[in-house]
Amino acid sequence: MTETTVTEPIVVEEQETRPRYAGQNVPRKEDKRLVQGEGVFFDDVKRHNMGYVHFVRSPYAHAKIRSVDVSKALEHPGVIGTLTGDEVALLTDPFFQISSPPGAHLKDFCLGVGKARFVGEPVAAVVANTRETARDAAELVEVDYEPLPAVTDARRALDDDAQILHDDAGTNLTWEGLYEWGDLDAAFAEADRVVKISELHFHRFNSTPLECNGALVEYNRGTGQWTLITNNQFPGFAAIMMGPAMRVGLDKLRFVTQDIGGGFGNKITSHPQLVACCLLARKLNRPVQWTEWRTDFHLSMSHGNERWFEDTEVAVKEDGTLLGFRTTALDDAGAWLRYEPLGGVIWAQVTPGMYRWRHIRLDFKQVVTNKAPVSPNRGYSRMQHLWFTERIIDIVAHELGLDPVEVRKRNYIRTDEMPYETPNGCVYDSGDYAKLLDTALELIGYDELDSRRADAESRGKLLGLGIGSTLDSGTNNFGQSRLINPELQFSGNNEVATVKLDIFGEIVVTLGTTPQGQSHETTAAQVVADILGCSIDDVNVRAGHDSYWNSHAGFSGTYASQFAVTGLGAVKGATDMLAEQMKKLACVVLGCSPEDIELAEGQARMKENPEAALPFMALGAIINANNAGLPEDLDVTLNCRYVYRPPFQPPDVERKYGNLTLTYAAQVHVAVVEVDPETGVYEIVDYAAVDDCGVRINPQVVEGQVMGATAQALGAATHETYTYDEDGNLLTPNFYDYHVPHALDMPPLKTGSVESASPFTSMGTKGMGEGGGAGIHAVCAALQDALRPRGNPIVFDSCNPYHSVWELLSDPESSRQRVTVESR
Amino acid sequence: MLLSEVAYARPATLEQALGVLAEHPGARALAGGQTLVNVMKARAASPDVLVDLSGIPELKGIELGSDGTLELGPMTTYTELIGSSEARARPILGEVCAQIADVQVRNRGTIGGNVCASDPTNHLPPVMVAVGAEFRVSGTGGERTVPAEEFFLGVYMTAAGPGELLTKITIPPGRSDGFASVPIGVDGTCIVNAAASLNGGVRVVLGCVGATPVAVEPASADAEAVRDAVRDADLDPPSDVHASADYRRHLAEVVAARAVERAGKGS
Amino acid sequence: MDVVTSQTIGVEVNGTTYEREVEARRLLIHLLRDDLDLTGSHIGCDTGNCGACSVILDRTLVKSCMVLAIQADGASIETVEGLAGEEQLTPLQQAFSDHHALQCGYCTPGMLMSATALLRENPKPSDEEIAKAIQGNICRCTGYWNIFEAIKAASE
Repeated sequence: MTETTVTEPIVVEEQETRPRYAGQNVPRKEDKRLVQGEGVFFDDVKRHNMGYVHFVRSPYAHAKIRSVDVSKALEHPGVIGTLTGDEVALLTDPFFQISSPPGAHLKDFCLGVGKARFVGEPVAAVVANTRETARDAAELVEVDYEPLPAVTDARRALDDDAQILHDDAGTNLTWEGLYEWGDLDAAFAEADRVVKISELHFHRFNSTPLECNGALVEYNRGTGQWTLITNNQFPGFAAIMMGPAMRVGLDKLRFVTQDIGGGFGNKITSHPQLVACCLLARKLNRPVQWTEWRTDFHLSMSHGNERWFEDTEVAVKEDGTLLGFRTTALDDAGAWLRYEPLGGVIWAQVTPGMYRWRHIRLDFKQVVTNKAPVSPNRGYSRMQHLWFTERIIDIVAHELGLDPVEVRKRNYIRTDEMPYETPNGCVYDSGDYAKLLDTALELIGYDELDSRRADAESRGKLLGLGIGSTLDSGTNNFGQSRLINPELQFSGNNEVATVKLDIFGEIVVTLGTTPQGQSHETTAAQVVADILGCSIDDVNVRAGHDSYWNSHAGFSGTYASQFAVTGLGAVKGATDMLAEQMKKLACVVLGCSPEDIELAEGQARMKENPEAALPFMALGAIINANNAGLPEDLDVTLNCRYVYRPPFQPPDVERKYGNLTLTYAAQVHVAVVEVDPETGVYEIVDYAAVDDCGVRINPQVVEGQVMGATAQALGAATHETYTYDEDGNLLTPNFYDYHVPHALDMPPLKTGSVESASPFTSMGTKGMGEGGGAGIHAVCAALQDALRPRGNPIVFDSCNPYHSVWELLSDPESSRQRVTVESR
Repeated sequence: MLLSEVAYARPATLEQALGVLAEHPGARALAGGQTLVNVMKARAASPDVLVDLSGIPELKGIELGSDGTLELGPMTTYTELIGSSEARARPILGEVCAQIADVQVRNRGTIGGNVCASDPTNHLPPVMVAVGAEFRVSGTGGERTVPAEEFFLGVYMTAAGPGELLTKITIPPGRSDGFASVPIGVDGTCIVNAAASLNGGVRVVLGCVGATPVAVEPASADAEAVRDAVRDADLDPPSDVHASADYRRHLAEVVAARAVERAGKGS
Repeated sequence: MDVVTSQTIGVEVNGTTYEREVEARRLLIHLLRDDLDLTGSHIGCDTGNCGACSVILDRTLVKSCMVLAIQADGASIETVEGLAGEEQLTPLQQAFSDHHALQCGYCTPGMLMSATALLRENPKPSDEEIAKAIQGNICRCTGYWNIFEAIKAASE
């Protein structure tokens, strides 16, 4: 037989024009399982004979570990085994350090070796046959500590008498970089006024995903491979940290995940605990399961970077035109550099914020302290810097007697300047910041502000309005890591997708990503269905990620606002390839040329003769099961893999110059607060959030991200703080003391959107989801506005719980001493 | 999560409960469990035996006497109290219970548990002192009545000692009560709270400013008089992540005055 | 009277009866998740704040991390797994999807139980009643606005 048999072409009576899925609020594919409690989160998975891991954690912020005695724990009934720092030091090498020296010299293991450096640091682990028994036995591990003085204030970390955390580094200043662009001297010479701000503080918090970290780890003795069923959100990063430390190739580490209960960056750096689990699974020859509880998470996992801005000077013209600024950013990394010091360059993606100032100098110093290690947190490092730039705008406006709206509009980068190259070589792709602001002000009813103020006053309240405008830079150029450490061989970015047409016509998509609620299954299906001209119901996007079965690339994962560009870029690339192959195959069968074929209504058909059509099922069947007789040179597999690679160059390390991110989504938030002047208690009474993330594939999903980021910002601005006492004890180690917003805490919300398509991405999309920082600033600015009649206090902290507001009310002068204005 | 090993009994009568408590010195009564279970999760408390009081009918129920006196079974849940028509005889009780925690906690948490926990941030201790509640405390040796102002002895410590149980809360009649607080977020944990009662005199009781509720008796219901009385009380409140001692002292004055004002409106 | 450190208990969950021996210290949420494999109810905190473990216990909404499993002996329990019929989501579940009231889906089971309990008692809740009904459930993804809309829609 030389002929290929095909299914009879379906006769199409009428040609319908179906609307595209992109741009529609398509119902989520993820929802059906999740609303029925049928999602599979790591802790839902069980294995026969599995043991439960419980970590022994340091009660001291800083202490030498003289000895660890596990004998009593091992005698406890039900205990399977233990792991100590001494074993870890023998079995593993320290984790690779991203930092250049002296940070490069840190010796970071999965358990404390020789020393504990923060309260809650794991120093040993116990495995037992039940969760409860593991904890009982962990209490029997005897650790002999010699307490040392703790460093708990970054500003004191470099004092002569400060205790050194890491003797290998010899200093608590683990990374420092001086960034300077433009001509600062000229800018300050040209200035009419110089506004000096002695100190601003961005506080320590994180997004507290509702599911904490964890894993079920199995070891296969025969192959030497580990399977980690885990909610780590960036397995590629975890693997490159873990493999060398464990002295194994990366293919020995299989990461599997289905559903993840929120991540927000906080689930990137679980690699130390995962290594401990791998060692235990191998040592004990059993699957081991580790569940991190809420208190563990608060004590030890991925706090957001705390940052102090010292000795800021702003050069400004009389009319509010901003020329430049200089400052020192002092970043508190906590005890270890688990993802740091990348925060020391990530901020530079948004160096000038949304503003046109060209002369900027920022001396970035990162110090280690006896607190939980910091790691990415939604808005990672940009949030801190953007809060700072926004605070400058409002303090300048305030002190110069200018309108904050006017100062913003005067200084915003304009639409006609897009794409805009920043002083440090980043390229803002598109945006209309003034329009965002106008939209937000209109939503909030800015015209009626005076009457609302009067109304609040009549009720004994102080009303204030504040603006926060931020950029959500997405799709990293990992070449920026070279600004941290020129030795690093990272640059660019990539993401992978595969799309195949299977034997019965099923379209199956796999992603390299590890979503945690970002609706990748849905939005990927929208893109695929549009390209292939089929129903979205026929597109099956695999839930979750398995590094053995999902194709992935070095930077695969779900982090840093990039899916709409990298993930969907890969999906589009793979689907375009598949579409081309389907057409090629169809034309062989139908005897025409590929240009004559179109894909529509689940068929490949001839444009001029729609009756000549092959359903997808036929195409899938031919290639997969009925391929005899196909032309030898027909290069069609119907199983297509595409790696999306954004167009990046490595940055210029000397000048610290280059394009660090591909897209810039933008946000303007406006908050209205009412303060009770008697108590400092305040309520956010009105709120608007306007977002521009270019072309939106699924507006409802985008709006969901905007809402979620906003809520997190409001929590951070009002109550959420990881505060330590002088001895290094965390004072907010659980949801009882760390108050996250509840339903009753939420203000009325108005959302709006502006669409400035990105010229740099295949679908005009931009990464988004991290723009909530706008809300932190909007609340700070609103408070400052509200408190003006009470002695003009300056809001200098990013977190303002009631007691802080009361302090500003009762002693405005001490906050005012932070600011001076010099006339030139 | 992951409590220490503990034994458990669910007696059907008060007598049985007191018997178990007497037999096991390390035993603790388990009311609604909305505080104690959490304390046990943190392993900040590890009783040997939990004596679950939920199966004892005589500890439940709300009765309204003909003179307006309310008798509350300590195992009455907040939700039951909020929904009770009898309890409306003293409206402050339902009003305050509705501000405690959330639906789930109110469904299971009990008024007896709230006062016996003697957590300085709880809502009910100052309310009980302000309204002049009396607590019946029972042990194997008999029972006694303790006025609310003598019931709270310290943080997590009450007049219901080892082997004893709170078995009845009696609330005298009255209407002119008020409650005010500054919580963390809406209806969150209290930073400072105050309950006031104007039933024949002015009585204000402050919570969160000491180990036990602090009662002051201003000369009048005038706001300045109330504030003066609070100032004169020389409060020594704790400093923590939510408030400094100074801030709590200041708030105490404000919420005291507000509670009195609300009490005045409630008359 | 005798005290026990473990006991065989019987519970009915979503209409199915289970018997298990449990230690007195075991929390109801661990019984459901670890012993009965009903992993729909989740754990998000260790202080009774987050509500991810909310279930309906003898017609009363509770957080199953603040109930001992042994206390549930003889009880009837409803969890998220019992809400939908064979193929049919409840109007509330459907509304959660329609209104994008979930992202990661981790808080969703507890949130649905709280909302289910609310609508049973109060089919036409006011805005404030809805907010109060879910106050004991923390969501870190949505900011609650869409959850609120979903419950409102399901109540109409």
